[in-house]
Parts: sequence; C-alpha cells; structure tokens
Amino acid sequence: MRKLAVLATSVALLASSSYAKEINVGVVMAMSGPLAAYGQTCNEGIEFAHSLQPTLKNGDTIKLVLVDNKGDKVESANGTTRLISSDKVVGILGALTSTNTSQVMAISEKKQIPVIAPVATNDKLTEQKSFANRVCFTDSFQGAVVANYATKDLKLKTAVVVVDQAQVYSLGLAKAFTDAFKKAGGKILKDIKVSSGDKDFKAVVSQIKTANPDFVFLPMYHPEVSMITRQAKQIGLIKPMFSGDGVANQTFIDLGGDSVEGYMFTDFFDYSAPPTQRSKDFIAAYSAKTGKQDMNSFVALGADAYNVMVDAMNRCANPEDSICINNEIKKTQGYEGVSGVINIDKNGNATRSAVIKVIKDGKAVYKSTVNP
Amino acid sequence: MDITIFMQQMLNGFSLGSMYALIAIGYTMVYGVLRLINFAHGDIMMVGAFLGYFGIAVLGLPFGAAVLLSIGGSALLGMFSDIVAYRPLRNAPKISLLITAIGVSFFLENAFNVFFGGVPRAFPVPTYLEEMVDFYGLMMPVSALLVPIVTAILLVVILWVLFKTKYGMAIRALAFDVGTVNLMGIDANRIISLVFGIGSALAAVGGVFWAINYPSVEPMMGVLVGLKAFAAAVVGGIGSVGGAVLGGLIIGFTEVVVIAFFPELGGYKDAFAFIFLILILLFKPTGILGIDFEKSRF
Amino acid sequence: MQISLTKHHGINVAIVAIAVWFIWFASGYFDEYTVRILNNIAIFIILAASYNLINGVTGQFSLEPNGFVAIGAYVTALLLITPDAKMYQYAIVDPYPFILTLHSNFIVALLLGGFFSAFLAFCLSMPVFRVRGDYLAIVTLGFGFIIKILAINTPEVTNGSLGLNDIPEFSNLYWTGGIAIVTVIVILNIVNSKFGRAMKAVRDDEDAAIAMGVNTFKAKTMAFCTSAFFEGIGGGLLAALLTSISPDLFDFFFTFQLLIIIVLGGLGSTTGAIIGTILVIGGSEWMRFLDEPMHLFGYTTTAMPGMRMVVFSLLLIFIMLFAREGIMGKREFKELFKSRTKGDK
Repeated sequence: MRKLAVLATSVALLASSSYAKEINVGVVMAMSGPLAAYGQTCNEGIEFAHSLQPTLKNGDTIKLVLVDNKGDKVESANGTTRLISSDKVVGILGALTSTNTSQVMAISEKKQIPVIAPVATNDKLTEQKSFANRVCFTDSFQGAVVANYATKDLKLKTAVVVVDQAQVYSLGLAKAFTDAFKKAGGKILKDIKVSSGDKDFKAVVSQIKTANPDFVFLPMYHPEVSMITRQAKQIGLIKPMFSGDGVANQTFIDLGGDSVEGYMFTDFFDYSAPPTQRSKDFIAAYSAKTGKQDMNSFVALGADAYNVMVDAMNRCANPEDSICINNEIKKTQGYEGVSGVINIDKNGNATRSAVIKVIKDGKAVYKSTVNP
Repeated sequence: MDITIFMQQMLNGFSLGSMYALIAIGYTMVYGVLRLINFAHGDIMMVGAFLGYFGIAVLGLPFGAAVLLSIGGSALLGMFSDIVAYRPLRNAPKISLLITAIGVSFFLENAFNVFFGGVPRAFPVPTYLEEMVDFYGLMMPVSALLVPIVTAILLVVILWVLFKTKYGMAIRALAFDVGTVNLMGIDANRIISLVFGIGSALAAVGGVFWAINYPSVEPMMGVLVGLKAFAAAVVGGIGSVGGAVLGGLIIGFTEVVVIAFFPELGGYKDAFAFIFLILILLFKPTGILGIDFEKSRF
Repeated sequence: MQISLTKHHGINVAIVAIAVWFIWFASGYFDEYTVRILNNIAIFIILAASYNLINGVTGQFSLEPNGFVAIGAYVTALLLITPDAKMYQYAIVDPYPFILTLHSNFIVALLLGGFFSAFLAFCLSMPVFRVRGDYLAIVTLGFGFIIKILAINTPEVTNGSLGLNDIPEFSNLYWTGGIAIVTVIVILNIVNSKFGRAMKAVRDDEDAAIAMGVNTFKAKTMAFCTSAFFEGIGGGLLAALLTSISPDLFDFFFTFQLLIIIVLGGLGSTTGAIIGTILVIGGSEWMRFLDEPMHLFGYTTTAMPGMRMVVFSLLLIFIMLFAREGIMGKREFKELFKSRTKGDK
C-alpha cells in the first residue's frame, strides 16, 4: 500500500512537471442533502463549461476542486477553508443558496479570494464586500421586472403573493416585488406564507380563490409551485400566475403537467434563441452530450460563473493573482456569456437583461425582454 | 365560511390524514414488536414511490402492476434491512438499534441521491386518477378519494391478519415477550421480518399514493412525511394500529383545517403535528389509544 | 465541584496539560483548514459531552439539542453583532427596538446564551418529564423542531430564514478548546458527584431509584439544565466561529449527528463522546476524497459527489454492528487500564 502511494506521488510529480501549470478553482456546491437537486444542476453547468474550456490563454490548465456542502453552513465553512488553505484555489464558484453563499463569502473576504455566485440573488449578499460577485441578477431587479410587466403590459391591478418563509430567495423576491408593485399602483390583497418541502397546498389555493386577485405571484422554487398549480387547477382556480427564475426549468413543466399552461415566469435567457455565439455553441454541445433540447438556467449560470472567472484570469498577467482576478471580474463589461450579455459593476453585481416566458403546449415560450 | 368550503377542507384533511395513517401503521407495528423507532420507515416510503415511478416510466408497466412491484420491492427491502441492520442487534441496547435505523435512513437517501440524482421526477399519474369527481359540489380528484378507501380496506386486512390468523397471534405474542415466544417454538426472527415486510408494504402504498397526489418523487421526500407519520403514531398511542390511523387522521385534519381557518399561521404548518403531539402527551402520556407500551397489544 | 486527590490526580493533570499544549501547538503550527476542523471538533465535544449527560448518564432519551444550540447561537449572535450591522441586515421586517440595543462582550454573550438555554430547559422540564422513554424522545424532538420553525417565523428577532450575518469572529482554538476542556472537567465532576450517582440511578432503574428516596425529577431536571447550558454555550461558540447563522442549520439532522456521536462513542461515557466527536466530525471531513475522482491501479473513476455520505452511513451501520454498545461502552478512559469490570459502578 505504502509503495503504491509513493509510486502514485512520483507519477503525479512527473506529470505536473511535464505539463503547463495547473491552477485550482474551487466549487462549493450542495451535492447531497435537501438542496442536492439545485446543486447538481448548477454544478453540471460549471463542469460542462470547464470541459469546453479547460485551459487559459497562456496554456495553464484549470482544475476544478468540488466540495459538497450538503446544503449546510458548517460544511460550507469547512469546505471553503479547505479550498483556500489546502487546495490553494485562486477563486471560488458557488454555493448555491444565499445563506450558504454568504457563509462562503464571509471567509473568502478575509482571505481575499474572489467568489462568483452563480445563482444567489439576495440583494444583501454583495453589499459591504469586496470579493463577492455574481452573474445572476438581484431580487430587487427581478421583482421590479415582474411588477412592471404585470401592471403596464398586462394591466393587472391586484395580486396575492405566496411566500416561502423558509427560503431566503422567496422572502427577498416577494419583498422586492411587493415594493415595486405598490409603487406602480398595484394592490396586494393577501400575503400567504408556506414552507418549502410542503406538498399539500389545498388550503392555500382555496384562500387565493376567496381573495379573487387579478393574478398570483409565487416567488418560490418549482417543486412547491408545481404542486400549487396542480391543486389550483383541481379547484378550478384559473388566474394568471407568475414566478421568478425559481421555476425556470423543464422539471417545473414535467412536474406541473398541463396545470402550468399559461404560467408566466422571468428567466435569464431564451435557450431557443441563443443570445450570443457562445450560448449557441454551448447549447449545441450540451444537447449533443445530454440529448436534452432545453437548458435549465442554473446550468447556464453555473457555466457563466466559470466563464467569467476564466475570462478574468485570462486578463491577468499572473492568473494566480487572486486580487487581480477579483479586480478583473468587476471590470467585466459586455461579456457574451451562455446566459446572455453580462456586465459586472464595482459592487460585484451583474447588470443584465431578463426575459419573460410563458408556458405553451408544455414548452416555455419567449414573450419579451426587459433591459435594466 | 360556507358549508361547502368547510366540507371541502374536511375532505382534504381526511385524504391527507389517510396517507399519514398508512405510513404510521408501519411505525407502530415495528415499534410494537421491537420497541424500535424505525427512522428509515419514511425512506422506505420514498423507495416505494421511486419503484412505482420506475415501474411506470422505465419498465412501461400499467399502474396496477407498478404498484405491485413497489409493494413487493419495498417489502423485500424492509425485510432485508431488518436482517442486515437490526437482527444482529436483537440483544443490544435499543439505542444502538436506533442508530442503525438512522444509518439505513441516511444510506437510502444518499444512495438514491448519488445514483438517481436529486432532481425531482414527475410521477406519471394515470389520467383516470386525475379526473375530478363532483360530489354535491365538493371537488376531489379520484386519486384523493381513493386514499381513504384503500386505507380503510388495508386497515381491515391488517386487523384481520393480526387477530384472526396464527401469524397475527404470533405478532401479538411477540409484542408481549420475545423470550417466551421463542420458547413456544415460534421463530421470532421470522415473525419480526414479516412485520417489517407488512410495514414496508404499507409504506410503499403510502409512497405511491403520495406520489399520485403530489406527483414529484425525489430522495428526500420521505423525511418530513416520515417524521409527521411518526408523530401521528405517537399521538394515537404507539403500538396500537387503530391509534396510528386515528393519529394520522388527526394530524392530517389539523394541518389542513388550521390553515383554512387561520391562514396567518401558514408558516407554522409543519409545527402543528408536533404542537398537537406535545399537548396530547401532556394530558395522556401514552397517546390517545395507547396502553402503557410495556403491555401494548395493537 | 470536587476534585479528588487520588493517585489518578496526576493522570488528570497530565491529560489537561497535554490538551492545553496541543491547543497552543495547533493554533501556531497547523494550517487554517485543520484549525477549523479542530474548532468544530472542540465545539462538538462540548455539545456531545453535555448531551451525553442527559442521554447517556441520566438515560433520558431526548432529542432536543438542536433547539438549545439554536437558542445559544441566536442569543450570542444578537449580543455580539454591533447595532449598526443589525440595523443594516434586517431585511424582512424591522427588528424590535430592544434588539438593536443589545450588545455585550464575548464572555457575557456566551454565558447569557447558556443561561437562556438552561432557563428554557428548566421551564420545559416540568411538562417534558411527565413522559418517559420513547415518548420523551418524540416530545423533545418536537420542541427542537418548533424552535426552528419559530426562528423562521419571528423575523423581528431572528431575521427569519435570512439568518444573522456579520457576527464578529471571536471563536478561536483557545476559546473553543479551552471551554471544551472546562466542560469536560465540570461534567466529569458532576458524573462522579452525589448528583451523578442519582442520575445513574435514574438511568438504571427509575422506580428503584424512587423507592430508595432519590428525587428523580430533580436529578433529571439538573441533568437537563446543565446539558442545555453547555449546549447553549456551544451554540454561541459555533455562531462566533461561522460568523453567520440561519434556522436551517438547526434542524433535526443536527441532533441526529450528536446522537450518532454519543452512541458511537459509547452512551454514558464522556471519553466515548470525545472519541465519537473526533471520529464523526474529523472522519466525515477526511472522507471528502470519496466525492472526488479516484485513482485506483491506473484507472480513474468518475467523481461521484455525495458518495461520502453513502459510505458514512454504511460505516455507521457496521460500527454499530460490531461495537453494539459503542466504542467505549459505558467506560471512561481510565477504566481501560483497570482489570475488566462491569464498567459502570
């Protein structure tokens, strides 16, 4: 056993000296536990983008080091510390949800290692931090998009908001929407609170029916929303329904069946009309590999988190200089990513357009684009 | 609130409660013979739902055959888990048994996560189960109406097995005293395996019902349901099959009805099962139908 | 507190001295990742040793530590976060005004976290100890669950599921390790005192203990409150180590993890609790390589993220099958060197 280890080490040493440098980039992601569904999807994008572009301009190769945080804060902290102190990563992609991401950012901030969050949309996340960045839009932008679209384009005046108390994403988006909707002259008839993991929403849908709003806003993830639409259909509740990017995936349509016909949601891009060349290539390669015709936004955003990191590393004279990488990430302008054109400001927030889609005949169909 | 809405909510609660009841029976039977809180029971339910899914979506079986596959597979899994993880510990402290149960639970959740992925899958519900029935203005899908009916049938079957067959007599005897049962020439291990088989089969039925009413299956789906079903078993009086059904119905009703009348408490929904449980145990420390569990007899 | 001056006194002092030296050495020479894992281990030793007091020593099968840890963590966090930082992070609703005025230093914050937990335990002991055995388990599990739901639903205090962020990072190995040593010493002294004997009497046969004139309710309450006190302090240390907390951290998996630790180590043995902590917390970090691609005999397997937890659960089952009373049984470290007795006296 010992001999084997020595052999392996020497082979590894030989290998590393004969090739160009290998640079570690860390990934903290929920690969098991209650958030595994989202983590696995997002990581798929990161790994696929890595397989398409594994090297930097100068020939150095990038090695992804993935740590599973089980969707848990203690494990996120352990994993981040390990990535920084043992694996010497130059940057970190991830943590999925805003709570776990803030844990990763709290540690990386002290060590001056840049983090790019693929999908964490909470507004507070990047405030008062220098090494925190993201490629997705924020809750306040998305909330305003929905509120304006509903009031101006659809002429809807009253709404019921169903908020998932246990999800930061849901709380943030609900608040942003409520503020923007009231400002645009709308009226919130009712706030209904639910908890994620729940499957039975019969009481919720009958409350919505009683309140009789113009439309329903459900800032939640697809497992719960699809159950709500099914149970709404059962009691004959037919109202326009709207969600954020939490339902922007094929699984939502699979789970909801024909109860999600006419459902509207915001998304990052339209995969049937790829916004950039990179997007077109990525989707073609992705379809060739997986056989899927659609692409989850989480996959695209995972890929873009990686791509933006690589792009920033390419612009640094020394691609192992984390401070330079961080500065370059914040200078990202007009980057044509998989999920559309991304600009990152000095606070680390992405400015990007959102699209609105509607589900028709079991497919998400593009409806309009909203620019910031 | 008018009477139709009230009745509708009662019906909803009845349907949800029946599903908790199906799963709670398994908890209570295993507890009766082994004094073991089988934390893996909720995950057996998850496996049952997955087997139903594989049966329909992958093997292309008709719904009925898929249910049979699910029941058979889950029963075998239940018995297998007993043989591997619980039988070697028959004479060990009960808490060691509990830890292996948690181990089995973690194993099932994580193995399904690694090998089949955590992304929820849409359970292919047969269309005839999705049709709506209009019953004097009360709207229910067939699937939701089916749950209480099947639960009632299965309850009768279980009670018949327990009280009218010699296996049932052996199970009840086992609940009294394992040592004596062995002396009477009955293979206690075989009977315990049988109990795991029956309990797991019921969990599988519960899992498939859960999946046709809330059609998404994923590896963690059994955790919260299992916990609530366990709370139901305790509310009813653990060790008693009738108590498990009663407890399941009570918890199902509470969850639906309290939300219907006090919508602002929506965020606390998951806590109701436990608040209720604590209140009941304060006044009746062994559950509603529970006899002191040293003397439980189903 | 009584420290008996027996021939074992020397061994005790030596063990503490080695532990103190190790903390000093580790703080100075180990890399940050190792130090963080050691911090986790130290905090979980506090939690496991105190949980063991109620579950192992007193034999009251309770499943609430996640609740007490949460109370300790939230109280400590609210006392440590500066008013400015608080003002800025409450995003769902505005906090109660008194929340903003809370502020104290680290020691006071930790102690208050402990006292709050202990006080809650005291209030709960009356209803909780009306039931016994597995009923106690489910009632306490329920309390732990309700505390988590409360944390989600009272954003005026806890900031809801957003949790509290920007907690000053006070915890370091001197704090966590030092408090772990103190906790273990205090708990061993309780176990070996008059109270400890009453607790063990409750565990071995509650009815007999009552017949012998032991006030079993007092013994149980005492164990429950002491364990809650240290669990609260452990929670405070965890909050000040992570610098951010949220309700999802404190669900029942947290309790299960502690239960696994103390049963694996040997229920009733403080040494066992320490060994269990090192095995579970250290081991699950060490097993991270299972998530990565493996190089075996020239072949590279594809990475299977999540494999670590599969292997962890299998190992857990196997260890329990072969060490049915846990690794240490009910014995303590010193008893390993004695001739084999029944272990428990």
